[in-house]
Amino acid sequence: MKTFKIILQSIVLVFLLGSTNIWAQDAKEIIHEAEKRQRGVKSMEADVTMTIVRPSWQREMSMTLWSEGTEYSLIVVKTPARDKGMANLKRGKEVWTWMPRIERSIKLPPSMMSQSWMGSDFTNDDLVREFSLTNDYDHTLLGEEVVEGRACWKIELIPTEDAAVVWGKVLLWIDKAEYLTMKGEYYDEDDELVNVMQGSEVKEMDGRLFVTKMTISPVDKEGHQTIMQFTKVKFDLDIPDTYFTVQYMKRIRG
Amino acid sequence: MLFKLAWRNLWRNRRRTFITMGSVLLAASIAIFMRSIQEGTYENMIRNMVQFHTGYIQVHQKGFWDEQTLDHSFEDNPLIHKAVADEQHISAMVPRVETFALASSGPVSKFSMVVGMDPEEESKLTGLENKMVKGSYLTKDSRGILVAEGLAKKLNLDVGDDLILLGQGYHAATAYGLYPIEGIVHYGSPDLNTRLIFMTISEAQVYTRADNRLTAFALNLSNPQRMDQVVKNLQTKIDTSEYEVMDWVDMAPELSQFVESDRAGGILVMGILYMIIAFGMFGTVLMMVAERQYEFGVLVAIGMKRSRLAFIMLIETVTMSILGVLAGAFISLPFVIYFHYFPIQFGEEFAKAYEEFGIEAVIPTMIDPGIFVNQAFVILIFALIVSIYPMWKIWRMEPIQAMRG
Repeated sequence: MKTFKIILQSIVLVFLLGSTNIWAQDAKEIIHEAEKRQRGVKSMEADVTMTIVRPSWQREMSMTLWSEGTEYSLIVVKTPARDKGMANLKRGKEVWTWMPRIERSIKLPPSMMSQSWMGSDFTNDDLVREFSLTNDYDHTLLGEEVVEGRACWKIELIPTEDAAVVWGKVLLWIDKAEYLTMKGEYYDEDDELVNVMQGSEVKEMDGRLFVTKMTISPVDKEGHQTIMQFTKVKFDLDIPDTYFTVQYMKRIRG
Repeated sequence: MLFKLAWRNLWRNRRRTFITMGSVLLAASIAIFMRSIQEGTYENMIRNMVQFHTGYIQVHQKGFWDEQTLDHSFEDNPLIHKAVADEQHISAMVPRVETFALASSGPVSKFSMVVGMDPEEESKLTGLENKMVKGSYLTKDSRGILVAEGLAKKLNLDVGDDLILLGQGYHAATAYGLYPIEGIVHYGSPDLNTRLIFMTISEAQVYTRADNRLTAFALNLSNPQRMDQVVKNLQTKIDTSEYEVMDWVDMAPELSQFVESDRAGGILVMGILYMIIAFGMFGTVLMMVAERQYEFGVLVAIGMKRSRLAFIMLIETVTMSILGVLAGAFISLPFVIYFHYFPIQFGEEFAKAYEEFGIEAVIPTMIDPGIFVNQAFVILIFALIVSIYPMWKIWRMEPIQAMRG
């Protein structure tokens, strides 16, 4: 009788452990797939309109963005006229700013990384921060939810102990059909919700499905929002390496 | 009659009198000097921060202090001028545009604080022009900037060089510009000395693209003791749903907290000093009583009332204490004045440690009549408490035994 009980307990235990394992594996694979598809984009050229929304005013900027892998990117402001030609270059962990009116460029020091990027709800750090959603986090599948009319997995990401990430917890909603990231909730170490990222307007751009509108809302600042709208996207172009240099940044005029 | 007796007693044994007076004198002068140094250090710290930079009171757009961006700037409002003009004790008011910026020489970049100001008015408030160590001061039409000495050093720039500024402008504009350095200013506070950059207010408004906007009015007081009252008055006159009126204690809580806690610690040290002083005084009185046992015994034996004798003793000690305290105050005065104008300087090693805490490495004294009066009073009270002993001794003395010694 006693042996039977132990056997029964073991079976239950194995089943329970097994099941969580299977779920965890799934969650990790979903994130991995989503990340792979995003990073599968070798290079990209995009026209983006950024709208900064504040309680009493808002401001719109348009810019062109080039990127190659996760290492290099270049963003050049086109409008408004007074900021035309301003550029940000990311090379690995470095960010350079080109100031056309005074024809000077400077590399942003670490003290500037936590500052707002161009007055938006993004920080300079958001542009350069490099981490792997697959390797730097432990994943749990929390369930399924519909976001913007698309069936999504809801996945919880908790950073692993030695991961150098800023968030204490991240919730991601990944589209089941195309592995698009539709929504993200970013929590600090005290489990307080800090930022909400909402994707919408999934469209086919240059042969791929793409979330063309992203809205970032800081939770503790009511009426604050930054909206990124992608108006034109091209994938996998041959962008010469010289694009992502300080010298080139000085030459382009928006 | 009794006073005459006391006076004669004092002069009868001059050496004894002078020793007792000397112990009071030493006590009073040490206590006064200690307190002057303490308060002087606080005063210097506050002055470095408040009088040389923030002003005692500031008026901002509501919410500015919590989030110091140009988005919380305001347009100049005659109502504020009127409220300030109506108020006594305000000696100056200056407009400012203050914003954080990255200051860069190209290869080296440092976080800095850009202050747009009216060169002439600002100098009246903070004495900015007197802080010039190199180059020339700004005029109303200057396009250049003044850079704090420590910052210029870190950036390896000098008068005549160009400095790049990059920061956040008004309503998400990106602020940047290239400015010739026209002068170098020196600040005692290491914190300010490695942070500040000055330009004219109109230049700052162009730089931040905040046309006609200000971030603060800085106010100085002719009588800082009235600060709380002035703040209260201004808060009733200025619309507090739109503006905030803050004093330096609100703006630099860490400074005022430091002073408060250090002052509490200082009181403890003073307490210990008082104890040592009191026992020193008690020692001399004890000697005096022992010496005069016989005399007291004789006087009581020939019919002198004990109360009268005790009263004579009281007059003697009070006289000695008052003279001692006065002499002590008189002697400490030149020291206090000297170290006020020529403060104690720390050695280099020590100075560095201090400067890392953002404190100027000097110890000046404060010349405050209040300190003299207070300390003199405390020491006088000690003298009176100590004088209880001889009176008590006289009260329960057996004349025969006393005379036998």
